Amino acid sequence: MLHAKIIDIKKEKIEVDKAENFISSSKFGASLIFKGTVRENNDNKKVTGITYDSHDAMVIKSFEEIYNDVDQKLKIKDKAVYIEHVKGYLGLGEISIIIAVACPHRAETYILSRYIIEEIKKRSPIWKKEHYENEESEWLKGNPIQAN
Amino acid sequence: MKVKLELFGASRDLSDKDFLEFNIEKKTSIKDLKKKIINYVDEKFKGNENYKKIIETSAFCSEDNNIISENYKITKDQKIGIIPPIGGG
Repeated sequence: MLHAKIIDIKKEKIEVDKAENFISSSKFGASLIFKGTVRENNDNKKVTGITYDSHDAMVIKSFEEIYNDVDQKLKIKDKAVYIEHVKGYLGLGEISIIIAVACPHRAETYILSRYIIEEIKKRSPIWKKEHYENEESEWLKGNPIQAN
Repeated sequence: MKVKLELFGASRDLSDKDFLEFNIEKKTSIKDLKKKIINYVDEKFKGNENYKKIIETSAFCSEDNNIISENYKITKDQKIGIIPPIGGG
């Protein structure tokens, strides 16, 4: 069971309650909610906010592929996964990503949650532009995507 | 033929719009399209090395949202997305 969505922050909110409701089931004995938030410092620069950009269709496709890979790579078949990522401007402390997972047992939830965030960083076309105290801003260096 | 290059991430700095348009010959490859974009940077941004590096390290995607190789041939008017190095989360 997967929920995957890009949240355009100008139009809607990213909400932890929705994630919790989605993964809630008596089938599962363990659940874990990971939130990524905007940090005030990066590379010794005072950050004031981040603008997130996204290729929406490719991001959703990558979330689905990551979810589908879990069966084969991690052998975790019984699971609920909720992934939302924001696009647009966020201030300090605001949530950029929620990954909520539920599984029958706790060990699987830790493995699954970590796997998803690391794969998103490698595979999902999302970009960050950091804004600094001196009113400058810059796109962060990322990892090149490879053709299959 | 025309290709509409949709801009994402750092490549958005190449234009005030969300895209660039290039006139190309039929069967132009992505490798050749890259050269055209670099020529555009030479003309428009005095060969800005940072912009060139972004183009060199970018992947490209087709209208059906697949990453395409440098040998991919463009055979009709279409949209191509430029995908600079990524890093969300």
